[in-house]
Amino acid sequence: MNKANIIGAGPILAILATAAVLYALYAVFFVAPIEATMGFVQKIFYFHVGSAINMMLAFALCGVAGLVFLVTERAGSRVSRVVDAIGVATAEVGVTLGAIVLVTGPLWARKAWGTWWTWEPRLTLSLMIFLLFLAYLALRAFAGSDRFGRGVAAGLAVIGLPALYFIHFAVQRWGGAHPQVVYKGGLNVPGMKLAFFASVLAMSLVSVALIVIRARQELNNRRLDDLFLSLDAGEGT
Amino acid sequence: MSSLRHFAVILRKDLAMEFRTRDILYPMALFSLLLVVVFSFAFLSDPTRVRDYGPGIIWVTVLFASTVGQNRLFDRERENGCLWAMLLTPASRSAIFAAKATGHFLFTVFMELLTVPLIILFFDLSVPRPGPFLGALLLGTLGLSLVGTLFSAMLMNARMKEVLLPLVTFPLLMPVVIAGVKVTSLAVGAPLAEDVSMWLRFLIGFDMIFAVATLLLFERMIRS
Repeated sequence: MNKANIIGAGPILAILATAAVLYALYAVFFVAPIEATMGFVQKIFYFHVGSAINMMLAFALCGVAGLVFLVTERAGSRVSRVVDAIGVATAEVGVTLGAIVLVTGPLWARKAWGTWWTWEPRLTLSLMIFLLFLAYLALRAFAGSDRFGRGVAAGLAVIGLPALYFIHFAVQRWGGAHPQVVYKGGLNVPGMKLAFFASVLAMSLVSVALIVIRARQELNNRRLDDLFLSLDAGEGT
Repeated sequence: MSSLRHFAVILRKDLAMEFRTRDILYPMALFSLLLVVVFSFAFLSDPTRVRDYGPGIIWVTVLFASTVGQNRLFDRERENGCLWAMLLTPASRSAIFAAKATGHFLFTVFMELLTVPLIILFFDLSVPRPGPFLGALLLGTLGLSLVGTLFSAMLMNARMKEVLLPLVTFPLLMPVVIAGVKVTSLAVGAPLAEDVSMWLRFLIGFDMIFAVATLLLFERMIRS
């Protein structure tokens, strides 16, 4: 079964992700030099940015999955089941990544800008993506698990993309007083570059592995539900 | 042409029913009045800074009260399976959506006619630029109505609809709140060096994009 093989990539991805995380940790702590002005705390940055990039990607993927779901959604269509499972998986992984971003971000900001939180465009965008993901999961949990409930969540993921564009634009114009942070200021040191790309790659592999495993689990969940229902129907007659 | 007539018929039906029962307007208006009173007690301690939070109070009141309207918007359609009956008629789904959204828009504007002058009165705001003030309220309310109507329809049969609706719509409506507060602040004379017309165009852009997006999603979602 070709499909089973693709989906069965979960464990292999998980092993790769573990290796990548270990290597990234090594690069962050032993290869990259300690940054001059911020000191040791700057090392938060590597996994922070890695999580942030993947959170945005997860949200985009969730929106695309929602769109495909709404287009292909017919009772029992295989494609719609797969994209639906991908939608849940990306949202849950996205919330986890968002939590990492929103915890590590203020820790970094406290040292870098002297404040825990500022309504800087990137921070605000991360927070709003996190909130949209939480709303998506609330819909999945409480709006019913039928075709309709899944559709509402997919609709939110789809309409979330233009909304985020507007939020980003509005927040960029909002203040004007906040300092525009130069993120990659010190990244020309080779050791830092290595640690940076290693941790972005590691977080990407972790995200993909988690999404694949969770999506497969969701598909199995649906199959189990179907089997249970058909068993129930069989007993009734 | 005929879909314009369907739109008018559905809207007239909603307005007539609302006029007789008032079961959306009354809770919405009363809730917004209560909010104004709560905000008055919460913020009136320092009358010199009233210009700072007056615009925010206006927008929070509008946002919260419009949520009450959203919750009730499709109740009548649900109770007797009326929405499915409406879908069986030749009326197009876009006509149904446009009529429901326009209804919500009109109810919210009516609520604002009552509440916003009260806020201006209670907080002693002066409005040196009434044009942008009204423009932002109307454009912002249109945005609230579009998003609110879409999710009100989608969550019509959901358990816990009342709780879920604001959870879903508030993040999406954040741009409206941001731009609305900006324009209203400028309109009441806050000393900000910013471009009113940029924010008004921003609201127009939001309304246009979301008019298309919500219409398409409504047509996709309401498929029996």
